[in-house]
This record gives sequence, C-alpha cells and structure tokens, in this order.
Amino acid sequence: MLLPFARRLAAVGPILLVVSLLLFAALRLLPVDPAAMSMPPTATKVEIEAARQAMGLDRPVVEQYAIWLGQTLHGDFGTSIHMRRPVGGLLLETLPATIELSVAAMIVAGMLGIGGGLALFALRNRRGEAVAELTTTLMMSIPEFLWALLFIFLFGVLLSALPFTGRLDPGMTRPVVTGFLLLDALLVGRPDIYASALRHLLLPAAALGIAFAPPVMRVLRTSLVDVYQEDYIRQARLRGVGELRILLLHALKNAILPTLTLMGVQFGFLFGGSLLVEVIYAYPGMGNLMVDAVRNADLPIIQAVGLTYCVVVLAITSAVDALVLLLNPRLRA
Amino acid sequence: MIPRWARDGRVLVGLVLLAGVLAVALLAPLLAGMAPDEQDLLATLLPASWQEGGDAAHWLGTDSLGRDVFARLLYGARVALTVAAIAAPGAMIAGTLAALLAGYLGGWFDWLVGRAVDVWMSFPPVILSLILMVGLGTGTRNVIFAIMLVDWTRFCRVLRAEVLVVARRDYVTAAGLVGFGHLRILVREVFPAIVPLLITLLTLEMGIAVVVEAILSFVGLGVKPDEVAWGQMIADGRSTIYQAPFNLLAPVVAIFVTVAGFNLLGDGLRRSLDVRLLEGRG
Repeated sequence: MLLPFARRLAAVGPILLVVSLLLFAALRLLPVDPAAMSMPPTATKVEIEAARQAMGLDRPVVEQYAIWLGQTLHGDFGTSIHMRRPVGGLLLETLPATIELSVAAMIVAGMLGIGGGLALFALRNRRGEAVAELTTTLMMSIPEFLWALLFIFLFGVLLSALPFTGRLDPGMTRPVVTGFLLLDALLVGRPDIYASALRHLLLPAAALGIAFAPPVMRVLRTSLVDVYQEDYIRQARLRGVGELRILLLHALKNAILPTLTLMGVQFGFLFGGSLLVEVIYAYPGMGNLMVDAVRNADLPIIQAVGLTYCVVVLAITSAVDALVLLLNPRLRA
Repeated sequence: MIPRWARDGRVLVGLVLLAGVLAVALLAPLLAGMAPDEQDLLATLLPASWQEGGDAAHWLGTDSLGRDVFARLLYGARVALTVAAIAAPGAMIAGTLAALLAGYLGGWFDWLVGRAVDVWMSFPPVILSLILMVGLGTGTRNVIFAIMLVDWTRFCRVLRAEVLVVARRDYVTAAGLVGFGHLRILVREVFPAIVPLLITLLTLEMGIAVVVEAILSFVGLGVKPDEVAWGQMIADGRSTIYQAPFNLLAPVVAIFVTVAGFNLLGDGLRRSLDVRLLEGRG
C-alpha cells in the first residue's frame, strides 16, 4: 500500500541534491560581490574583506557548497544580507501565505476546470461547441499575471468591489498562530479579520486559478468522451439510468483520474505562478520575498526560497503520482 | 491547391493577428510619431486623448516619466517578437537534439536526459528563469538565453516519447537492416515523422516566450532599463493605475493579442496536422 510513496520518495532525494547544486552554481555566476553589498558605502577594503571571510566567500566554491548544504540540511538557511534577519524566519512567515494563496487558487481552478469540462462535454456535437472551444483557446492565451492585472482593473478600479493590495485592511494586525491567516483568524475568534482576509484573497486566488483551469477542462472533456465509448455506459442506459446520473455517478468517476493527474502537475506550475500574482497584489508571500531578494542580490534568500519552491513542487507531484497509483488499480502491477 | 492547414479558421486568424503585430513592430518609427524614450516631465500621466485632460499629441496618454504610451506600445512589439523569434527556435533545437539522441540511442544517454528533465521539471519555470537572470544579468540577449535554458525540456519531454514510438516502426528497422548509418536514419527517417508535432510545439513556445519576456521585464529582470518592453510598461502602469489606466491596459491587450495569435495558429496546426500533443503550461 505504501510502496508507491516510498518509491517516489527514493527518487526525490537525488533530484533535490542536483537541484541544490544547480541553484548554487547558477548564483555563483553572479557578477556582484555580496560582501561589498552587505556593507555601508563608507566601508573600507579591509572591512569588506573581513565580511567576505565571515561569509565564507574566500573559500573554494566546492567548500562553500558543502558548508551551505550542511547548514541547509540542519534547517539553518543563513542570514539575509539585505534585511539582516535569519532566512529561516522569513521563510516561516511567507511560506504559509503562499500555500494559502495556492490552495485557494487550486480550489478555483478545480471548480472552474471540472465545471467547464462538464459543460464542454455537454456541448459536444452541438452548435455551441466551436464557440466554447475557441473560448478555451483564448483563455489559454491569458497567463496568470494578465488575469491578475485585468481583475485589478475590473473589480478593483472600475467596480471598486474588492481590495487588491496585501492580505488585510490597513489598521488590522495579523494574528500569528500558524501563519495561515484564515485559520488564525478563526483560532483567535476574529470574524472581522477572517472576512477581511477572505476579501483580500479572492482576486489573487481567482486570477491564479482561472489561468490553470482551461487545460483541466479540456482533459476532462476528452476523458469523458473516451469513457462514454465503454460498454458499461451503454449497459447503464439500457437499464434505464438517467443521463445526468450516468454522467455524474458512472462516467465522471472513471474520467476524473487523468484530470486529477493533470491537476497535480498543474498545481506544481500554479505554485510557481503564484510568484507573479503575489508581486502584482503586493501579497506578502514567498514570491515577493524572492523578487525583493533578486533585486537586492540577496543570495541566502534566493537560494533558500528557490530550494523551497522545488521541495514543494516535488512533494506535490510525488504525492499526486502515488495517489493516482492508489486510486487506479490498473496501474498497480 | 491550398494545403489543408491553411484553410483552418484558427490558422488564418492566428496568422492575421501575428502579421498585424509584426507590421506594427516593423513600422513602429513611422506609426509612433515620436521616440518611445522621449520624456516630458511636464506632461506625466496624461490620460488618453479622448478623455478629459487628454492631449491630442499623446493618443493613449503618457507614463510616469511623460513618455508616450502609444509609441512605447509599438516599440515594445519589437522586443517581444525578437525574443519569440530567437528563443523559441533555440529551445526547440536544443530540446529536439536531446530528444532524438535520447529516444534513438537509449541507454545511458537516455537516462541522463531523463534525469535532467526531472530536475528541470522540479523548478517552477518562473523561478528558474528568475534565478538564471540573476546569474546572467539583464538584457534582451540574456532573456533569450534564459528562455532557451528553461524551455528546452518542453520540447524534449514530448518529442522523446514520440521518437521512442517512431524508432520502433518497421520502416526505421528496415532502414537499419539495409545498412543506413545512425545519423542518416535519424535525419532522414525519424526526424521527418516528428516535424508536424515540432511545428505545433514551436508555435506555442513562441507565445510562451512572449509571456516570459513580459514577466521578466515586469519584475525588472528582463530587458535593460533603456530598452522598451511591454512588461516594463505594466510595471509602471500598475503603480499609476488610477491616473493613467491605458498605461496598464494597452500592454496587457498587446500581450494577449500576440499570445492568442500564436496559440490560435498552434491550435489550428495541431488539429489539421493531426498530431498528439500533451497539454500543459506554466
């Protein structure tokens, strides 16, 4: 039962090692000197040299990598050059925010994707099919950051219906229990904070979710078409089962598997796509942390956040792979 | 005789949209009427010319430095199309070579390519390109290079599966039995079979390249500050959304039209060339 999970886990280790190596190598190409950047402009050469030694930047690259990897494995991500705070703490603050946004977006993507897939299937061989397909093609031409901007313009500026900056109304202080704001608001018993957080989450989650819905729609439609070729659907019809019942109770159960696999892959992409949506909505998650770090050439943060994104993506794809194996007895041999 | 693919409605609409963007890019100096980097600090954030307070000289208004939005919009098409036209074929060549060799040779090379793809896939594309741009530094050339380095896997993944199927077909085996060399079999027998799929993937990748360039320029890691790109316009427009909405809307629409052109073309080609295609994005 647990074998598929164990197998995936064994494959993930080496991948992560190579990922960490690549991350480290890519950032060593950087034409800036992190030691000089961490010092005030008035610092002397000697002071900068001392800082470089303290950071270990004077040692061979291989040794630097070994030190960094060892510390990272012990949960020590170093100290931000620019913000002068431990990177681990920054990660703990921002990762829950990004997960909250991504999960909310995935719910949107799932609802739109499955609803849209069923609608596309219902329209097959009808007059509306061409229009519906064209709509999905056009929707696929709008990446998440364009949706984010369009939603700001439409719901934020034109209609003034929803906020589009940050996670809470100005003046509210964020309760910190788990870092997941919606959960924390409930835990401390503040429905007003919960409502504000939810309103702030709506636009970014919708923008991120809608961008990843069209492929889900298409795959669900295709697998429904395939499933309807099978005998048991005809059998059900002969037994007098209603069409809606066949679709929702008989066909969907089998057609949903490829869709779930795709959604797993999509969730990995979506998690990465959250970076832009965060930047556009000034949402204080890992994406904004990363972009700020990139602008300031803050190496410890870039490395740690880059690695965290990869760990989460690998965890998601592995879990989905294993889950699909468990759900589909035909793939288990 | 018009080939089947040219009669598909999507292909035609896609081609028309792209021809429009290309014409705008080529004719930008004639159409714009002024330089895209000409600043007028006395006329910043003007609204569009038909709105109250608009200036007839600035059809879509001006940005936060008083630069003409319309001129920047037209010149932005140049960077977008340049990146699409170079980065996408570059990624295609790298990915196709890896896929052909992996699928045909098998063995340790196939294993190596497979693991490389695994590693690449564990990076969200946006994160990987950001990290690469930090290492490479800004500039159009580096944007192109980063896109090639990130997106070769898109081609490799899909094509490798296709090559595996093709390489086991009877006519390829026959070519081997007749005594053709590996190179000749790859180039003359296997490669032609994957061309339809390749063309479709290339078209879609060009759309992706436009988006990635816009993303990187939006974040400030794309083109150099003195170059004109739609992503930069969006970054400027996002912070001045209430004063000058067209500063934001114009490049958003421009990106949509360009990407839709590539996607319609790719979708139409996929249908009429009848190839299997894995759907995915990111």
